[in-house]
Amino acid sequence: MNAILEIKGLRKQFGGVTALSGVDLTIHDGEILGVVGPNGSGKTTLFNVVTGVHKPTAGTVRWKGQDITGIPANRISRNGIGYTFQQAMAFPGLSVLENVQIATEHSSASAREDFAWPTPMSLLEFVGIPGLAGEKAGILPFGSLRLLGLALALATRPSLLLLDEPAAGLNDRETASLVGLVQQFPAHGISVCVIDHDMKLMQMLCKRLIVLDFGSKIADGPTADVLHDPKVLEVYLGGEL
Amino acid sequence: MITSFSSLRSLVPVLIVLALLALVPLMGPSNRFLSLAISAGINIIALYGLSVLFGQTGILSMGHAALVGVGAYTAALLARDFDIGFWFSIPVAGIMAAVVAAVIGIPSLRVSGHHFVIMTFAFGQLLTIVLTNGGEYTGAASGLDMSKPVTLLGSDIGDLQNFYLLVIAFVTISAVASWAIINSSYGRTLRAIRENEKLAAAIGINVGRHKIGAFVVSGVFAGVSGVLLAYFLRHISPGQFASFPSIYLALMVMIGGARLLLGPLAGGILVSFLPEVLNLDPVQSRILYGVCLIAVILFLPNGLIAGLADGWSKLMGASRRRAVTASAVSEAGQ
Amino acid sequence: MPGRQLLEGKSSRVTDGEQHRDGTVDILLQQILNGLSIASVITLIAVGVTLIFGLTGIINFAHGEFLMVGSIVTWLAVSNGMSFPVALVLGVLAVAIMGLVLERAIFRFTLERPTNGFIVSLGLIVVLQHVVILFWNANQKSIPRPLTTVWEIAGVRIASVRVMVILMTIAVVVMTYVMITRSRYGRALRASVEDRDTAALMGIPVRRYITGVFVLGSALAGLGGGLLIALFPITPFTGGTMVMKGFAVALIGGLGNLTGAVAAGLILGIVEGFSAGYGFSEWTDAYSFGLMILVLLFRPHGLFGGTSGPKMA
Repeated sequence: MNAILEIKGLRKQFGGVTALSGVDLTIHDGEILGVVGPNGSGKTTLFNVVTGVHKPTAGTVRWKGQDITGIPANRISRNGIGYTFQQAMAFPGLSVLENVQIATEHSSASAREDFAWPTPMSLLEFVGIPGLAGEKAGILPFGSLRLLGLALALATRPSLLLLDEPAAGLNDRETASLVGLVQQFPAHGISVCVIDHDMKLMQMLCKRLIVLDFGSKIADGPTADVLHDPKVLEVYLGGEL
Repeated sequence: MITSFSSLRSLVPVLIVLALLALVPLMGPSNRFLSLAISAGINIIALYGLSVLFGQTGILSMGHAALVGVGAYTAALLARDFDIGFWFSIPVAGIMAAVVAAVIGIPSLRVSGHHFVIMTFAFGQLLTIVLTNGGEYTGAASGLDMSKPVTLLGSDIGDLQNFYLLVIAFVTISAVASWAIINSSYGRTLRAIRENEKLAAAIGINVGRHKIGAFVVSGVFAGVSGVLLAYFLRHISPGQFASFPSIYLALMVMIGGARLLLGPLAGGILVSFLPEVLNLDPVQSRILYGVCLIAVILFLPNGLIAGLADGWSKLMGASRRRAVTASAVSEAGQ
Repeated sequence: MPGRQLLEGKSSRVTDGEQHRDGTVDILLQQILNGLSIASVITLIAVGVTLIFGLTGIINFAHGEFLMVGSIVTWLAVSNGMSFPVALVLGVLAVAIMGLVLERAIFRFTLERPTNGFIVSLGLIVVLQHVVILFWNANQKSIPRPLTTVWEIAGVRIASVRVMVILMTIAVVVMTYVMITRSRYGRALRASVEDRDTAALMGIPVRRYITGVFVLGSALAGLGGGLLIALFPITPFTGGTMVMKGFAVALIGGLGNLTGAVAAGLILGIVEGFSAGYGFSEWTDAYSFGLMILVLLFRPHGLFGGTSGPKMA
């Protein structure tokens, strides 16, 4: 498998606090990778550095061989890296369809001509909310808002999708259908990196897991192995994995 | 994606109103009425620019009169120094105001959040000071005279009736231009920024560039409005473009409501004619404007017309769940 | 545009009787003294602006009009035969009450949206200016100098009224400073400036502190107004220029930073003094705007570091 995103020696300090201390991480073409770790382990900082919200203190992020360290958020997405936020987000005052239209209009169309969902409507059908197309996004129930967020990220025609706690706030049924959607992505040429601390979700989704603790990577490997790694067990306090 | 039936629906009422207004001279209105109507119309042109900036993008300029001033001074200087008349002044002044908007906008939008509004205010003031201290060239505090008439096909069309029709024509163009922007994918991009900047950046929108773009676009409208002002008043001075006129423009756009195409038209007419209708002197009417601005911000953040429409639909029981009538003003700087 | 009459009358600058144009050093010293006395008034505004911003995120541009109202009340009282000290107290009280009323009636509804607070304050400028004009016309107003003694020390003529203004400002600012740094109310206030929500969670009645700060800031503006009219004639438009300077000072000092405001007030006073001394007085208003823009651009937290206002969602 080819590496599409390569992170080397990524450090991020906020004043005296080290949020990331030299993390190496590789995402391969066509995989669904999970990044887990307890709260404060640096997951979200990692996400923010890759998506251009924060500039790293040191280290590089290479995307398909190109250095994209510290470039602004909007150019990250134009390079083919889509992402969703921990807090479900949309443009509340615009209709659901308009939301997706906007995202479609700003995708780097040249990048992916063969995209599986060419129109805004086809995206809404894929995530399962075509009936809400005419509604204002601001009145959507939380579950639908998450799905809309996913559609927005997809509409930018990414080759890699970063999902920050995509199932937070969803009930079991909604989580299951989300997992069903995400599992289809690799077949459509979209690699996925999920950041979450929900081990159940990770077990369902990911073949490979990376565990962060205090800003460092403490495990990296097939999900089943990582879950039995004593270091990981210790971090989760012998938790019920 | 410009023309769909539903988007035309917002334009038609505006065109009907403007067509009716174009018939007003047939009723033999007084000169006083025509003058007021012309002032209102000139403001409305700038308001259509503000509606793109404020209504669509959600950022407010409290120094917009300064951009009108750039247009007006451009026209006056072109006429005085280069013997260039009305029609050629229009594009030049539009471009000049756009350039100044970019010069103000590029640094201003770098500063975070609601400081932008203060920056526009400060730049507006600074421009007034520069014009006042400009010596002979800008005519200092007493300003400049406009010596050239407005001509069309070689004949002078400067009398009030003709000028009124000219202004109506420009208002119509502004309304259509504003409508075209609102209903284009560009307008949608601006709305996305208004609704959620972070998400807009996440889906690949260059937020900073589009905000500056919207400010520049609104500058073009302001510049054109300034040319008409210079040719109408025949004399311009820095005080006309200081903070009060900017507050006045902001009041108009807020009273009318910036998101509806009818808003600038309604706001401009209401604010211009209200003192006349209530028979107020200038001091009283300014107090009223100030009170209205405060009241609108506190009670009708989406504008009077949208407020009335809301009230109406609530009255009719047709109100859907309205979880998000996010306040228009709030987003001005966030 | 119907804004036919000029709104911003330039703040009136009268040539002071105590100025003597002989010997550059003397003039310089005198200009600096003059600059400092004006800077005192500006600092009084800046302290109000900075405290209100620090706590609420609202930039109250009408604060200059608060000052102007203070001048007007002082003028009215003196014109009706009261002595200057009584008139000054009345001015302070009147503006403090006005601040209380406006905060309760208007500004508290804009706490969640500071931009709205700013726009509302612009509306208030128009209202306050023109209400004053409506009742007392737009002409210049002045009172006889409360102190007329002019000391002459080594060729430098020092007007006692200026010294009074400077000393009163120092006293009031020191009192405010001690109150904010030493008393438990001050501690709670600073905690609220740091983080409004956490302070509220700790049981600090933040809303009441906001009202309190509005009243305090207004009282300082009222004092500034009373002192200003002791120095210069004023017009209903004086507030506009003064607030820009006060705001520039607050910004340069770092919004929310009291010490910074005082230091920046000194700087602007001296710069303006020099500038007037060397004949650039028509540009003095531009300094504050220009400085403000530059500071916003390059040091948005001010030269001495300030808060960026309460954290907004």
